[in-house]
Amino acid sequence: MRYIEWVVMFIVAGIGIALANFVGFKVDFVDSLPGIVILLVISIVSVVISKIVPFKLPVIAYCSLLGLFLACPLSPIREFVIESAGKINFTAPLTMVGAFAGISISDQLKEFARQGWKMLFIAFLVMVGTFVGSALIANVTLSLTGVI
Amino acid sequence: MKQENYLYSGLGERFRSEWKIYAAAFLFIIVADSIGQIKVPLGPGMLILFPIFYSIIMGILSGPQVLKFFKKKEVKAASKLVIVCICPFIAKLGINAGASIETVISAGPALLLQEFGNLGTIFLSLPIALLLGLKRESIGACHSINRETNLALMQDMFGPDSAEARGSLSVYIIGGMVGTIFFGFMATVVAATGLFHPYALGMASGVGAGIMMASATASLSAMYPAMADQISALASASETISGIDGIYMAIFVGIPLCNWLYRVLEPKLGPVHDRLFKKKES
Repeated sequence: MRYIEWVVMFIVAGIGIALANFVGFKVDFVDSLPGIVILLVISIVSVVISKIVPFKLPVIAYCSLLGLFLACPLSPIREFVIESAGKINFTAPLTMVGAFAGISISDQLKEFARQGWKMLFIAFLVMVGTFVGSALIANVTLSLTGVI
Repeated sequence: MKQENYLYSGLGERFRSEWKIYAAAFLFIIVADSIGQIKVPLGPGMLILFPIFYSIIMGILSGPQVLKFFKKKEVKAASKLVIVCICPFIAKLGINAGASIETVISAGPALLLQEFGNLGTIFLSLPIALLLGLKRESIGACHSINRETNLALMQDMFGPDSAEARGSLSVYIIGGMVGTIFFGFMATVVAATGLFHPYALGMASGVGAGIMMASATASLSAMYPAMADQISALASASETISGIDGIYMAIFVGIPLCNWLYRVLEPKLGPVHDRLFKKKES
């Protein structure tokens, strides 16, 4: 995608976040605006970085790292970033992700129905194993290092 | 620099062919967020329904196999839009991590080590897959949580028509359809056992699948509202690390481990399956 396409798509995403934040959590558009601008600027800069930097990392890795950097104690605009982003409810950006994700897998419905009970069971085990394996190691390490 | 192939001739063309998708997404948001969060106690856990679930369902229903409102072309366009929309969400999570940076740093060793826990799937699911009579497809199915990168990796390593890639595709499709809701519910069930600290559960949520992480984190935050900030900070940090190391973990550890376990276990468990299932069939 060209930069201009990314920017316009991000603005569409921003409108979606503001809408969800208003409908679901009664936060006015004006109150959501600073937080949304911050999230979109981080996203746009991340896209630029991912196109310029020669080694391949997912765009979302840069989004996360930039967000972390802007909100960490070293950042001069830390308070503003945390406060503005705090107005955006945690699940508000997700409704639109779900809408597009749903449409994007809508042509796999028959394929999904064709999967037998064995595969369904295995897929559930895969998710449980991935989650519990991590939780187990995390819990042991956290207690050994005295964090919990 | 490599020349990018553009899907559209320009912004105007993109807008003309995609505006219906945006309009539908806005409509889904209004409907889904009006319904809001619903908590359903289910067994030991808590099924917490978030607007994202309703919008996924509306999206699936609007597609070419049910209501036929969207055609193949729009389905393809929507998958690009998922990436666009998840960026601001991940940025928001990054900000949460920065705001709770002390928690993230103090949990540093745990954050790095728990990445290997993502391989837990192999030890749990591969033996059972073999007992159920799966062959090489079990390697694709069980080696990881099977999101986009893993699917591409399996097709690349074993070929698009291989049994391994078929197994990977199956888990990918199931994960897409029901993974988001299952992952959130499963997190609450695991939490209800009381065996794990909420911090550990937060980290475990980051498995390299943004939407599943979001679902688990939202569910856990609803269960432990006082620790919501730390949970999302740790989930975000873990998700970022998983996003970076996931593919290497699969290439250098996950797939070799699956191959080895397959060689060791298949000769033992294959016949067990045959004894258990063939008798009934004959």
